[in-house]
Amino acid sequence: MQRIIGLETEYGLWIEGLAPGAMVEESRALVRAYQGRYASPWDYSDEDPRRDMRGFSVPQLTRDPEDARFDATGPRYASLSDEHADRILPNGGRLYNDHGHPEYSTPECLSVVDLVAHDRAGSHIVHQCALRRAAELGKELRVYKNNTDYHGAAYGTHECYLSRRSVPADTLIAALLPFLATRQVFSGAGKAIIEGNGRVQSAYQISQRADFVSVDASVDTLHRRPLFNTRDEPHAPDADFRRLHVISGDANMSDWATAMKVGTLALVLDAIEAGCSAPRALADPVEAVKEISRTRALDTRLRSADGSWTTPIRLQRDYLALAHDAPSDLPERQWVLDEWDRVLRDLETDPMRTSDRVDWVAKLELLTRFAEEDGLDWSSPVMMSLDLAYHDISPEDGLQRALEQEGLMLRIADDDAVQRAAAQAPSDTRAFIRGFLVDRHAEAVRSASWSRIEFFAGDDVMEFDTRPLVNGSLARLNSELAVCTNLDETMAVLSRYRASDRSKE
Amino acid sequence: MIAQLEERITRPTPATPDRKSGDGEGPVRPNVRRPGTDELLRRMRRVDPDAARKYRQRSGE
Repeated sequence: MQRIIGLETEYGLWIEGLAPGAMVEESRALVRAYQGRYASPWDYSDEDPRRDMRGFSVPQLTRDPEDARFDATGPRYASLSDEHADRILPNGGRLYNDHGHPEYSTPECLSVVDLVAHDRAGSHIVHQCALRRAAELGKELRVYKNNTDYHGAAYGTHECYLSRRSVPADTLIAALLPFLATRQVFSGAGKAIIEGNGRVQSAYQISQRADFVSVDASVDTLHRRPLFNTRDEPHAPDADFRRLHVISGDANMSDWATAMKVGTLALVLDAIEAGCSAPRALADPVEAVKEISRTRALDTRLRSADGSWTTPIRLQRDYLALAHDAPSDLPERQWVLDEWDRVLRDLETDPMRTSDRVDWVAKLELLTRFAEEDGLDWSSPVMMSLDLAYHDISPEDGLQRALEQEGLMLRIADDDAVQRAAAQAPSDTRAFIRGFLVDRHAEAVRSASWSRIEFFAGDDVMEFDTRPLVNGSLARLNSELAVCTNLDETMAVLSRYRASDRSKE
Repeated sequence: MIAQLEERITRPTPATPDRKSGDGEGPVRPNVRRPGTDELLRRMRRVDPDAARKYRQRSGE
C-alpha cells in the first residue's frame, strides 16, 4: 500500500513578560500574523476524538486538572474555528491555535523526504509569524519545537499513518507497543530533567515524552497519555482504513530523526499488515519507556511477557528483521533499512557516534561540553535553559540549527526544499487538491478538512469528498488540475474524476 | 527516490577524528568535541540562564 503519512506539531510559545494564561490569545494572534494566502474555516464535521478503534466511544476525554482551571477563566469564542483561527494553506497543510499552542499539520505525503520538508516548512511558517507578532508587540518572543515546559506540562508531536482496518485493533496494539517503547533509542529528543507526578529530578534522559506516558493504550490525549493512542478518526473510507495516530513520540529537530521516526514505523506497519506480529511482548511497556529513557542504558534488560529478557537494541533489531522481509511501497524503503541498521550498530558501539543525526545524543554532547567548560552539573538551571534553546526554531538563535549550520548535523531538506514545501503541496496526494484550491481560488472555498472540500460554484455549493483519495498516487489527477486556469475548468476536472473509475490512476 | 535522497543529504564534515568504540555494554562517557565553533558558543552564552524557569505552558495533547 502506498501509505499517506503526516505530522502534527504543537509548538511552545514564550513571550517576554506574559503569563501562561495569556498564551491562548497570543497563540491565536501568532497564527493570525500569517500573511500568505489561506482559506478558512476548517470543517470539523468528521472529527470525533472520543471514538476508540476498539469499537466504543468514551463520553469525554480525561483532562488535565491544571488546564481545566485555565479554561474555566479563559475567553469564549463564537465557534471552534474562531478559537482555532484556522488557516488552510496553499501547501495543503493547516496552521491553527490548539489551546495555547500554535500548531502546524503537514499535508498528506507519500514519501518520507517530502514529509521532512513539509514538517520543516511548518517551523519556517511559524517562525515567520513569530517575527511579525514580536514586532507588533515590541517584545521578545520565542517558539520552541519540543514537548515540555519543565514544570509538568506536556504538548505533542503526533504522527499519522494510513493503515488497514483489516488488522484487528488488539493485534495492531500488541504488535506496536514494544516498537513504540524502544524506538526512542534513535528518535528521542533528549531532556535535561526528569519530571511528572509533581516531582522533579536533575538528570539527562533520552525522551521528552517518556515522563508523560501513563498507560499502554487509550483514546486519551490530554491527560494520562498512552503509549498507543486508540483514537479512530480515519479521514478515509471507514470500512477499509484507520489513521494510526501516534502521540507518544518526541518533537525532533533533526531531519534524520524525523525521517527515521516515521520511516521505521511505516515499514513496521507494512510488516504487520503482511501478517507479522511483535517479535516479543514486553511485560510492562510503559515501565520500559521510562526505564530506557532515564537510565540511557541501551543494553538495559527488559522483561518480556513470557519471562525471557531482551534489550532495546535487540528488540529494534528484531523489528528491523521483520521490516526487511516485508513488502513495502515506501519510496525510501532501502534507505530507511540501511540507516536503521547503521544507527543500531553505532548505538551499540558508542552512542556518541550518532551525534550527527540523533537529537538526544547531539544535545547531550552539546550540554556536556558546556557543563565541563563552566563547571556545571545537571542540577544547574542553565542546563535546562540550554536544553530549551536546542529546540528554538529560530535559524539565528536555535542551538540545533547552529549545529546544522556548522555542518555538525545531517540535513535531508535543504533551504530550497523547505521554501518549496512552504508554498506547494505534494504533487501525488489529495493535499494537492486542497492546496491548489486555496492557492488559486481561496475566495471560493467555503470550508475544508482532510476529508472534504466545499466550494462555491455560482449560486451552488460543490462538495468534493476526498476520503476515497488515500490509496495510491494522485499524480495524474493533480497534473490535470495544475493546468486549469479558472474555477470552471477546475470543477470540470474534479467532477469528471469523481465520476470516473479511480483504478485508472 | 533513493538517489534523490542521497543527493539531498548534506554529510557533515567530521569535526574530530573517529571516536574510540565503547565496550558494547551501554553508553560510554561522551567524548566531548573541542573546541566548538565561535558561533555555537556565542549562541550558548547568549541563552538566558533563567529561560527554562520562566517557561510555563498549558498542556497540549
